[in-house]
Amino acid sequence: MSINKFPFSAQRIISILWPSFLTAGLATILFFTAFDPQLIVAVSGFGEVSRLGGYSIGFFLFWLLTASSCSLTCFFQRPCPNATE
Amino acid sequence: MDKPVLQDDQDSGFYAKHKKVYPREVHGLFASLRVIGVTVLLGFYYFVPWMYWNGKQAVLFDLPNRRFYIFDWTFWPQDFFYLAILLIIAAVALFFFTALAGRVWCGYACPQTAWTEVFLWIERKVEGSRNKQIKLDKAPLTRYKLSRKVLKHFIWISFSAWTGFTFVAYFTPVDQLASSIWNLTLGPWEWFWIVFYSFATYGNAGWMREQVCIYMCPYARFQSAMFDNNTLVISYDSVRGEPRGSRKKGIDPKSKNLGACVDCTLCVQVCPTGIDIRQGLQYQCIGCAACVDVCNEVMDKMGYSKNLVKYTTLNALDNIKTNVFRPRVVVYFVLLIALTSGLLYSMATRIPLELDVVRDRNALYRTTPLGYIENIYTLKIANKDLQDHTYVITMTAPFKSTFILRDKQVKVSANLTTNVSARIQADPVDIKAMSEKIEFQIVSINNPELNTTAKAVFLGPKPK
Ligand code: SF4
Ligand code: SF4
Repeated sequence: MSINKFPFSAQRIISILWPSFLTAGLATILFFTAFDPQLIVAVSGFGEVSRLGGYSIGFFLFWLLTASSCSLTCFFQRPCPNATE
Repeated sequence: MDKPVLQDDQDSGFYAKHKKVYPREVHGLFASLRVIGVTVLLGFYYFVPWMYWNGKQAVLFDLPNRRFYIFDWTFWPQDFFYLAILLIIAAVALFFFTALAGRVWCGYACPQTAWTEVFLWIERKVEGSRNKQIKLDKAPLTRYKLSRKVLKHFIWISFSAWTGFTFVAYFTPVDQLASSIWNLTLGPWEWFWIVFYSFATYGNAGWMREQVCIYMCPYARFQSAMFDNNTLVISYDSVRGEPRGSRKKGIDPKSKNLGACVDCTLCVQVCPTGIDIRQGLQYQCIGCAACVDVCNEVMDKMGYSKNLVKYTTLNALDNIKTNVFRPRVVVYFVLLIALTSGLLYSMATRIPLELDVVRDRNALYRTTPLGYIENIYTLKIANKDLQDHTYVITMTAPFKSTFILRDKQVKVSANLTTNVSARIQADPVDIKAMSEKIEFQIVSINNPELNTTAKAVFLGPKPK
């Protein structure tokens, strides 16, 4: 499949960034409905962050997490070298 | 089951290289419907943040203060339930309409369609018709071309910026937002989201367009699972149309052994996703009916009967009667009505007041110097109303007890919570069990209808 010929094709990058964006958005909504970012920041002692900043940082952390798992999926999708020998 | 034949992703030019689609302008019944849909939806989108209700922004998702205001309602994070139900309703509605009428959402109501439509309109106003656009893109860079392109992108970007501003205005009070942009005192995160949303609009509606539908939209990928042979689809009547071929007007097609399709390719030129509907149902087709409108125009001109390309069902194409009220449609419909009425009912009877009781965590109970058993509680009163209220707190217990509050009446400002510390004391001889159920009641003085209760337990030593 062409997906493996171009490890950094636009298709591949978007297929990592886009689904992770969607799931990160969902996770952000659910998480911050239950937890107030200001309380979390206060507990973790990172100093002052506005709530909006808290949501945004939370969103990007979630995105980082979901994007990593999408990249791993992409990575493991490659045929295993031993199996093809 | 005979599923519509869906083409696989074409490998060529995924996202990156692809042939630019220049959709031709189209007029007709469905185009008018789409213009109405787009105008109404985008009109709402740009107008709603400016709407005021009882002196406040009518719709405001105040994330910084964790409150959602929708007219007279205020929603707190605890009310997430409503949002969840709303999302479920939206999903069921999507199932219902898809099963019934196919991709009507895509063709008439999707934001991607709406904003692309606006961007196409701007493009046409600046660069001219489809043919002129193609010519302009092929032409070498001249001052004229440069001026057209700069103008187009300038308008696109301004419109996107307005869109991004509007988006953030749903989350930050609009007057505050406008004035802090004007005074350059806007916070970095607000800036970030305005730019982000503007950029997304510009990219999606200006550059990506049909590729969003084809490659990025999750709904486009799974909608075929909701289709059946009775779902409305757009289809070309190949029995009537073929063999296609050009001809002069007024010639009887039968004499030339031709079908009704004059092979003018207008249906391909108007298609926003750049496909040829005559090749059969394709997964790229967003059901916009532009090809229906344009082909009807052609058929009119030729003096043929309309609907060579039309809304139809797979059953109708096979000469089987279309069944509108099939089980899945009925089930979706019943579900939709039940959920919607349930939500409306619970919103209408919702009491904007909440009482939570938290027991003192340090001790199960304590014995006062006079030998009474004492339990300590924190009452969290959430006033979700838009007005301040003064509440009276009472308590009932199945044993003789003294209820001690610093103030019997508590004033809670609109949309705020107040914690009240309460103590209950009882003589050990009156207590029948180690754990007794008690109940707190709270009622607003100005409006007795605003009342609620909360249960708790009173703990004590083992009764002798
Ligand atoms: S618009 Fe109608 S007549 Fe023209 S090519 Fe398409 S199907 Fe044939
Ligand atoms: S084939 Fe017709 S209905 Fe489908 S996207 Fe193209 S113009 Fe719209």
